[in-house]
Amino acid sequence: MATFMEEALVEARRARDAGEVPVGCVFVHEDKVIARGANEVNVYRNATRHAEFICIDATLAYCREKSLPARQMFSEIIVVVTVEPCIMCSAALHTLGVKEIIFGCENDRFGGKTVVDVGAVVGQRIKITGGVRADEAMALLKEFYKGDNPAAPTVAKKKKL
Amino acid sequence: MDTCGSPPPVKRNRKSPTDNEEDCMGIRAVLSDEYNEIALIKVHSCQLETKKQLQSVIQELSQKLPRLQHLKRVHDRNVLICATSEIGDAETLEEHLKRYAFSANVLQALCHQVKVVEVPARMPKLRVQYEQMMQHWPCKFHPNHYSESLRNGSNFSISQRVFHKRMAQLLVQLSRDVNKDRPVGICVDPRQTRIVSIAGASETYGHEHCSMLLVDFVARSQQGGALRSELSFVEDQENAETTLRGLPKAYYDYLKENEAYQDLQFGAEMSRKGQPQQQVMLDSKHGQGGDNLSKYGPYLCTGYDVYLLQEPCLMCSMALVHSRAKRIFFLRPSDNGALVTRFQLHAVKELNHHYEVFQFTTDGSLT
Repeated sequence: MATFMEEALVEARRARDAGEVPVGCVFVHEDKVIARGANEVNVYRNATRHAEFICIDATLAYCREKSLPARQMFSEIIVVVTVEPCIMCSAALHTLGVKEIIFGCENDRFGGKTVVDVGAVVGQRIKITGGVRADEAMALLKEFYKGDNPAAPTVAKKKKL
Repeated sequence: MDTCGSPPPVKRNRKSPTDNEEDCMGIRAVLSDEYNEIALIKVHSCQLETKKQLQSVIQELSQKLPRLQHLKRVHDRNVLICATSEIGDAETLEEHLKRYAFSANVLQALCHQVKVVEVPARMPKLRVQYEQMMQHWPCKFHPNHYSESLRNGSNFSISQRVFHKRMAQLLVQLSRDVNKDRPVGICVDPRQTRIVSIAGASETYGHEHCSMLLVDFVARSQQGGALRSELSFVEDQENAETTLRGLPKAYYDYLKENEAYQDLQFGAEMSRKGQPQQQVMLDSKHGQGGDNLSKYGPYLCTGYDVYLLQEPCLMCSMALVHSRAKRIFFLRPSDNGALVTRFQLHAVKELNHHYEVFQFTTDGSLT
């Protein structure tokens, strides 16, 4: 899976270069990448355009194009993403019933495993493995959050506890 | 009065409402468990032999074991020491206390007539909880008028309540008349009660639920929007002060043609992106304090209210957190709902944004 995580990291760096939160993702089907995506939140002014959702949409388009049954396709997909999917993405991936999720670093602000046990809420268990090249994924995030999110309005910074 | 102080007195002129009264008002706040339950924890306590010991015991305890701040430390000569959970399995209370270097006489006092008592786990949020908790152990309480009003429904004025219930009615009608009985959602800028966006779910499989579409249509009103929808949207007229771009034509035309809805207002404030950030107060009535929508202009769903026919699922509930919606109102619980039915996402403290949640308790056919 290391090579696939490298492809996800490539996507994350692409997001960084575009001024987006640097998270990247690829969907792997039968050892082949069928969808790749990076965060596109700022460009579309839509806070739900996370890398995973870009890949979900690409997969649905791929299925339409090749006339493949989407439900079955998702059940055979391994999600490789640089940061632990957030609660929203994790809920979507659980509901779509992907085969497996492999992620890099944890997301302690709104991770779909660390903060909320999404599998328990949705009522679907899938295999989730974290910690794959976590340091590199985290370094990208840290680098990004040192600067400010260019799309967010300038609001007083929260005080550190 | 002892050193911990007792809560300030609160006027009790309002009786807590019965369930019946809540139903009459038609909307209930969905409050987290912290507002409903009386959580208790087990704590070691000791009994002082003489009142003379009180000062030194309290002083050392507050320095060395400063937890349990929400409780009165002393009650009838009984002193709270620490939660039983803080002490390891292989450790006695005395061994545990020795780690904190108490002076000899205090240590002796703390080990006298030790027993385990059940006390409130945290400070009460509401007066009704306070009264119940006091039966276990005296605790502190900071009465909060807004919290009490959420519980008894007095947080909304009559005209606000009428508007919210009208939105519930609208959801039912739009679903039935425009969206083949499938879920719909409405996003409203509450400052001028203008409808910013309306969205209806179309498919059953996949992730394009109505909340996901709604936040994307709101993005359209801010020159964004990612979904390549086949719907046609309302165009803005030249020099318009607000934008209708977040409104699919089918819903907008239906409402414009319907006699009963002629007084509804539509449109979002124009995005201030690309303009120098101005500290404009758009509406001085609501703009006081830290209202980010008024201060900085539209950004995602900041400051907006979202009305949904169905309780949102976990994906949608989190999408609305990411979008920074102000309040969520929904009419019908969902089997996979994540605000009441299966989970209370808005009660998760770790999240970086929290919205308020309200459920309509009437079916939307009432006026």
